[in-house]
Amino acid sequence: MTETPNPPKIDDPDHDLIVAIQEGSPSLFTDLVQRYGKPLYNFGLKMCGKSDTAEDLVQETFLNAFRYLGSFRRETKFKNWLYRIATSVCIKNRRKSKFAPERELSLEEFLPADEAAVEREVPSWAALPIDQVLDEELKQHLQASILALPEKYRAVLLLRDIEGFSTEEAGQMLNLTPANVKVRLHRARLFLKDRLKGYFENE
Amino acid sequence: MSKAAHNHKQCLDLFARMSEYLDGELDESLCRSMEGHLSGCPACRVCLAELRRTVQLHHASGNVVAIPESMAARLKELCEQFNKQ
Repeated sequence: MTETPNPPKIDDPDHDLIVAIQEGSPSLFTDLVQRYGKPLYNFGLKMCGKSDTAEDLVQETFLNAFRYLGSFRRETKFKNWLYRIATSVCIKNRRKSKFAPERELSLEEFLPADEAAVEREVPSWAALPIDQVLDEELKQHLQASILALPEKYRAVLLLRDIEGFSTEEAGQMLNLTPANVKVRLHRARLFLKDRLKGYFENE
Repeated sequence: MSKAAHNHKQCLDLFARMSEYLDGELDESLCRSMEGHLSGCPACRVCLAELRRTVQLHHASGNVVAIPESMAARLKELCEQFNKQ
C-alpha cells in the first residue's frame, strides 16, 4: 500500500494505525475489524432490519475497505470513510434487489389536515422524563418505525441521529449537499414523530 | 400548524426549519425570529416539543446489541484472511 504525500492533518483516533497499515503492515487491519465490527453490525441491522443482511454488509464493507485502503488519503476520519463504504454497499445492494421504487416524503404530508388536529398542550409522552416513557415495547416500535422509513431518509437519520455524524459528514458519506441532508433529516424526523403520535394515541 | 390569529405563513416557514432549530444550525437572526414566533404560537411549541422528544427517544433507544456468533465467526475468518496478507 502506498502513502499519499502530504495529506491534510485531521484529528483521527485511527490515524497511527492507518499509517502503519499503509506503510506496510496490512495485517494490522485486523485491529480495525475488532474496533468497528460491532458498531458496523449495529448500523447494518438498523439499516437493513435483518441479521444476515447486516452480516453481509459488514463483511463486504471490510473487504472493500481493505482493498481500497491504499488510496484512502486521510482527508477524513477513517470511521467516516468506513461508514461511507457501508452506506454505499447498502444502497448498491438495495438497487440489485427487487424492491419497489423508493417513496418520497413531502413536507406537506406532515402538516395537520385541519385546525381541529392542532394540539395546544404538549402530550405527556413529550413532557414526562424519558425514563418514564421509554420501555421495551416502545423501543421495538421505534426500531420498526426506522425500518418503515424509505431508505434514503433512513440512511440520513441513522447517520445523524443514531451514529452522531454532523450534517457535513453525513453529506460527504451520501454525496449530498448539507442542505439536502437537512431536508431529508427533517422529513425523516417528522415521519417518526407522526408514528410516535399514532403509537401513543392508540395506547 | 395554527391557522388562527397570527401569521400562518410564519408557522409553515418554522415547520420547515424546526430540525435546524433543534440542531442549533440556524443563524442568530433566524433563531430569534423562531423564538419570537414560538412565544406566541402554542401549536408550534407543541410541534417542536414533539419533534424534540422524537429525536431524544430515538437517540436514547439506540442501544448497541452484541454481535451474534455467526457474525463473530465471519469476523474471525476475515481477520485470518487479512493476517495472511
